Amino acid sequence: MKLALVVQRYGADINGGAELHARYVAEHLSGHAEVEVLTTCARDYITWKNELPAGVEPINGVPVRRFPVAHERRPLDFGRRSRLVFDHEHSVADELAWLESEGPASPALIEYVAQAAGTVDYIIFFSYRYYHAYHGPRRASSKAILVPTAERDPAIGLSIFGPIFRGVRAIMYNSPEERTMIEAAANNPQVPGVVVGVGSEVPARSDPARFRQAFSAHRPFAIYIGRIDENKGCGELFDHFQRYARTFPRGLDLLLIGTPVMPIPEHHRIRHLGFVSDRDKFDALAAADLLIMPSYFESLSMVALEAWALGKPVLANGRCDVLKGQCIRSRAGLYYESYEEFVEALYALESNGPLHDRLGRNGREYFASHYAWPVIERKYLDMFARLQAEPAPARAMEPLPGWFARRRKDCRAAASVLADLPAGATIDRAETARSA
Amino acid sequence: MSDLNVRSESLDVEQIMSQIRSRIREKRGVDYTEQEIRELANVKLEKFLDPGGVRSDLLEQYRKGRESGTTLRNYAFEDTTLYESNRGFIVWLRKMLQPILKLFFNPNPLIDVLHKQSKMNDSFLHSEALYYELIHNLVLETTRMGIEVKNLKMRVESMSSRLDFDERRARALEGVVQYRPGAVPPLQPPAGPNAATNAQGPATEAESAERRARRRRRRGRRRPDQRGPEGQAMASGPDGPDDHGDSGPAESFEPAGRAADDPHES
Repeated sequence: MKLALVVQRYGADINGGAELHARYVAEHLSGHAEVEVLTTCARDYITWKNELPAGVEPINGVPVRRFPVAHERRPLDFGRRSRLVFDHEHSVADELAWLESEGPASPALIEYVAQAAGTVDYIIFFSYRYYHAYHGPRRASSKAILVPTAERDPAIGLSIFGPIFRGVRAIMYNSPEERTMIEAAANNPQVPGVVVGVGSEVPARSDPARFRQAFSAHRPFAIYIGRIDENKGCGELFDHFQRYARTFPRGLDLLLIGTPVMPIPEHHRIRHLGFVSDRDKFDALAAADLLIMPSYFESLSMVALEAWALGKPVLANGRCDVLKGQCIRSRAGLYYESYEEFVEALYALESNGPLHDRLGRNGREYFASHYAWPVIERKYLDMFARLQAEPAPARAMEPLPGWFARRRKDCRAAASVLADLPAGATIDRAETARSA
Repeated sequence: MSDLNVRSESLDVEQIMSQIRSRIREKRGVDYTEQEIRELANVKLEKFLDPGGVRSDLLEQYRKGRESGTTLRNYAFEDTTLYESNRGFIVWLRKMLQPILKLFFNPNPLIDVLHKQSKMNDSFLHSEALYYELIHNLVLETTRMGIEVKNLKMRVESMSSRLDFDERRARALEGVVQYRPGAVPPLQPPAGPNAATNAQGPATEAESAERRARRRRRRGRRRPDQRGPEGQAMASGPDGPDDHGDSGPAESFEPAGRAADDPHES
């Protein structure tokens, strides 16, 4: 079987969520099929500047073909267009201009995808909101499989993505919440789909004692791993934690791992370690009492899965549907929607040994049964087998409206479309009871 | 957190969260619906209650406004102002032509209004200094009061947490203490200044050895590593996250990280 995998950026040192997801999937599927990765020469997701050489380069045994980006992103222009399509009535042409402005616009990549469609069995596109995942499936819809990595943000309310969600051969969702949201936005229940997610390269052994010694972390601590960003809920986390620290002078410390893009408060119980190696990261997770995930928007939290793989409970932001759903389904984490809930849940995890143990055990079981690599690979292979067994659908990708229709300002503001979509964790009670 | 006992193998996170929420409701005494919370947020109550809501740069802005205001100097406007000039001839000519000018329009109301405006400007500039002082003092007082309210609120919060904790500790102790008739001698009225020492005096060596042994046995039972399921239930038991300072229940709990039996740990 021959597969092509198309993603906005790709590299051993590129650790964005969707990009890492794509790399893991490419590397694991390369054991079952001939995989080629098609991507851009960009390394920076804000500017899409061409930094890597065009051409083919093997990365961890997978051939990666890079194409130049036609133009860099201009943040001011993109911000202006985003405000227009998210907050005001607009036209399809406005949405297409927004997509072009967002980038990474690489017509050469799309041209190659159209040619490759004749030679490969399936083309897996990552991240629905980018240029390649819109234009690529339009050129090769009969071979297109989409991994949307969609979060609950206004982009899902743009009208141009509806035909893509309805026109691809299959969709590999990250979570039931993502599936519910996309099906409500695009009305595409006829498209074959499965909730897959992604595994993680969790080491077989971790050494918490080494971490505690190396980083002088002698007190019990909760850990946050990821970009330290207001958009990731870190502002609220700092506020809640400082209030908790005032109430509990002997409670947990907070350890932060990741690159900061916001100021970190000066507090003797908040420690920032910056960007650390994978080994340090996993040792830190193993040494922590629990992981805190304060993010409001996630399509799948890989770091939460890693914590569960290591038997650590998670305290997540309950306003993120996906995280809340994951906590409930896994029975391996608590969630909060206010300071009171944060402090009570943190206290319960910190002080209640049996509860902590039980959540940790559940997390390990949940990871093993849903996110271990053999399970993920099997889901992809089953989907390929299903698509091969089924005849290619008669439905084709809906064409773009005509020149005048494209310019008619009849598209609702994307934010208001998003507000109408169903929210909340998607819980299959029967499934949860079965796994319990 | 008395109700968070993990007894069964299956664990329902939603149920735990509802227990946590009911505990918060108990503490808070009132629970708002999501709709009510949204309405409250829309009111921006903080603006009224929080001294932080008062713009900290208000005085600075005001001062700047005054400075820029002083550059616009007031003017004097009299009935001759319209005809003024440095050249005497021009002044004379304008006066001569005044009757002709009055054929076109009447400048008197204009002169009158501008004269009044000039007087009003004077009065405003005078009162502005008073307003500035008044606002300055008000902001200072509001800030001081806001800080005081915040301090008082924190003290009330801390005291109610301590009270809550003490009550629960008392209840827990009541459950632990067993009354045995005859174990404690009935209280005797004090006989003299040395009564207390005398009361302990007659205890024999054997009795005090027995008491020491009993105390040791009791301590041994309390060791956390020997705690049974009842002990664990208690550990997860009678306390919640309160302001218990250094002697709170958290100390009596087994640290969660160490309690976990992690095969990854080498």
